[in-house]
Amino acid sequence: MIDTLFATLVSGLVLGSLYALMASGLSVVWTTLGVFNFAHGALMMIGAFFAWTLVEPVGLPLPVGILCGALGAAAIGIVIERLLVRPYYGNRNMLLITVMTTLAAMIILEKSAQMIWGARLKQLPRLIDGEISIASATISAHEAVMIVLAPLVLAAIWAFTVRTNIGRSLRAVGQNQDSAALIGINVPFAFALAFGISAALAGLTGALLGSIRFITPAMGADPLTKAMIVVIFGGLGSLGATAGAAYLIGMIEAILVLWLGLYWTPFVLFLIMIVVLVFRPNGIFGGNQ
Amino acid sequence: MTPMIRNVVLPLAALIALALTPIFVIDSYTRHLFIIAFIYAIIASNWNLSLGQCGVFNFGHLTFFGVGVYTTAILAKTVGLNPLLAIAAAGVTAPIVAFLMAAPVARLKGIYVVLVTFAFSQLVMQLVLSQSQITGGAEGMVRIPYLKIGDYSFIRDYKLGYYYLCLGLLVVSTIFLILIARSPFGKSLKAVRDAEDYAVSRGISVSRQRVLALALSAIFTGVAGGFYAIYLRVASPEVFGFGTLTLALSMLLIGGVGTTYGPIVAALAISFATESLAGIRGFEEARYIVIAVAMILVLRLAPEGILGLFRRLTG
Amino acid sequence: MERLLEVSDLSAGYGAVTVLRGIDIHLDAGESIGLFGPNGHGKTTLLKTISGLIRPTAGAIRFSGDDITAARPPDIVNAGLIHSPQGNTLFGDMQVHETLELASIAKRAKGDSRKNLKSVFDLFPRLEERRTQKAKTLSGGERQMLSIGCALMCVPKLLMLDEPTLGLSPRLKKELAAAVGDIAKSGVPLVVVEQDVEFLMALTDRLYMIEHGEVVREIDKANAPDHEEVMKLYFGEVSH
Repeated sequence: MIDTLFATLVSGLVLGSLYALMASGLSVVWTTLGVFNFAHGALMMIGAFFAWTLVEPVGLPLPVGILCGALGAAAIGIVIERLLVRPYYGNRNMLLITVMTTLAAMIILEKSAQMIWGARLKQLPRLIDGEISIASATISAHEAVMIVLAPLVLAAIWAFTVRTNIGRSLRAVGQNQDSAALIGINVPFAFALAFGISAALAGLTGALLGSIRFITPAMGADPLTKAMIVVIFGGLGSLGATAGAAYLIGMIEAILVLWLGLYWTPFVLFLIMIVVLVFRPNGIFGGNQ
Repeated sequence: MTPMIRNVVLPLAALIALALTPIFVIDSYTRHLFIIAFIYAIIASNWNLSLGQCGVFNFGHLTFFGVGVYTTAILAKTVGLNPLLAIAAAGVTAPIVAFLMAAPVARLKGIYVVLVTFAFSQLVMQLVLSQSQITGGAEGMVRIPYLKIGDYSFIRDYKLGYYYLCLGLLVVSTIFLILIARSPFGKSLKAVRDAEDYAVSRGISVSRQRVLALALSAIFTGVAGGFYAIYLRVASPEVFGFGTLTLALSMLLIGGVGTTYGPIVAALAISFATESLAGIRGFEEARYIVIAVAMILVLRLAPEGILGLFRRLTG
Repeated sequence: MERLLEVSDLSAGYGAVTVLRGIDIHLDAGESIGLFGPNGHGKTTLLKTISGLIRPTAGAIRFSGDDITAARPPDIVNAGLIHSPQGNTLFGDMQVHETLELASIAKRAKGDSRKNLKSVFDLFPRLEERRTQKAKTLSGGERQMLSIGCALMCVPKLLMLDEPTLGLSPRLKKELAAAVGDIAKSGVPLVVVEQDVEFLMALTDRLYMIEHGEVVREIDKANAPDHEEVMKLYFGEVSH
């Protein structure tokens, strides 16, 4: 019993790390620009394909591939901001228009990936081979790396937005664009930076996930949906609440899989979400909207 | 153009033209394009009821279509129900699912409505994928019973039966939508959209309206899904995917939301464009890129029409 | 004499609504000016247009000899033309010291950030007491201090203050007026928007009265109005 629980806890941590990396990227863009980026899952997929291309056909070392996957996704994220989001700043319907333009961006990225890389399943090698046993639970060493890496990345992002002036400028722009401009913050740069960081997080997640799941053009859809559930739970307002909700959802999902099996888990997860929303329309930890 | 011409003469002329089309179009591929276009027209014009007229940022409309597809597929193939009855049943299950989705959505605002409706459609897809012993999972269901009355199969005479059945569905759905728009309920939708505070102060319940609008918009969308399953004889989880969603959304955007007919006209035009592109080698995937780019361009270059829509949406 | 700021024939507004109609004001080196007039007649819009938040539809703005009419806000800040907006408009979820440190993000201010922070805390000791408090938990007067403090962190060559004492209690108003006086004495030229003409007269060299988006009167020491005349300016001659 204790053994099973422990194994569930560990698999919940793996899921939680994945969701935390994805959802925190959504949160960064939301808090800075008030845009919900539907292309976030596609950016994750692009990161995985970039990393795969550099590691498999080109033959670069895996860590370099993962880094370039994150950077490549960041570059595309910045292009999306420039072409599909920036024209609508100040538009009172910006939220809805950008939902639609980023949805279109997602289609373009997914279908392009399908045309470039084909439908054949691909996979990256693992950062570290082998398995790690913690007490009674066994996970792959690669998943263990993810568990360790995710909080470090999140802490780095948090420190960046709290300790450095460039990072603080993202928060300032999200709270008051005019006042931010009046103390010398370059607002369009901050927007592009937020998109870049968010996309880099997505690309990193994709490149890491590409070692334990198959890389396909549609691989981003499921993590995006889960990240949505996370932000619905946690609200989009703050990084901390989003990360907390991500681990919570990861745990709940792992427990549900143990208890009900894989089939009913997504359904029950959504039911829980409905119940939460009926009582807390801004999420469990959410206050901001 | 007088309202009389716009609202009565033109639609009737279009209907007569479509009714006479099979006389001139006798190859089954072109008729297939028309049938697919009619299906999308039903989807887009009913979506207009929730997204356009009621102002619910519903991004889960295709869920209703998918529920229709699987309801009919399961009832007709697994249960062995008469395909026509199975199609009709889709008009019951889809609104029930809409009702389930509407319960939390009715109280939410802004981006959370988008997220919940969207996540809902994704999760229904997950459910379909996971229950493979019933739904066929990722493979979907094939060889669903086809439609025949007596000995006459609807596929015969170059799909003549399917053509008229689908056109009939489109006509009934359109009349249904017009009746809703003219009913006290439709007028109250307009009141809330244009002056929410005033409408609320006059005792209109916005939550109740949203639930009703979502459920009503699901009826014919579900029926269209049921017809789709019987017509193509397959049910695949792709109907929940982003591709179908973007296609239907682009019809709604490009067609505009002012009239009931806008999305229908756009649906016919875009269905033909994409289905023709699908016939070109190498464009099976690229057609979705074309549609996505077209959507972006419309949002960017034709802001008057689109913004008009949003102005009404956000009141 | 060199002109630090020269606004000529400036028109601007929000969308289809024109707020400023051909404004001409200037500020010579070594002087401070005040802007007054009824609310909603374009004073704040004028400051926003000078600082680049609003694109003018006509006219020109020159600062320190350079044309800044089409310049973007961060470049204008970096040139040393700083606009301190009304105090309730800061970053609510950011702490006082974070906000002030962030305000030295411009190139011109980066180097002396620590020294400037100390002098802001010297000027407004209350801000130092509240340094880890979030801006939204501050009182109106403290927010005003924070807003002015941010502007000072940018090392202004010219400081534009938008109603620094708006809505404050008489005691706080006095405190802030004294602080603004200290800033002026330290040699920073000011453009001050205020309702209180006597306060402006004491602080600045010349006054512009702005009404319906136009300069309707210029006042200097030579033609300074007395109290009664000031009241008349607001309530008598003003035609609506």
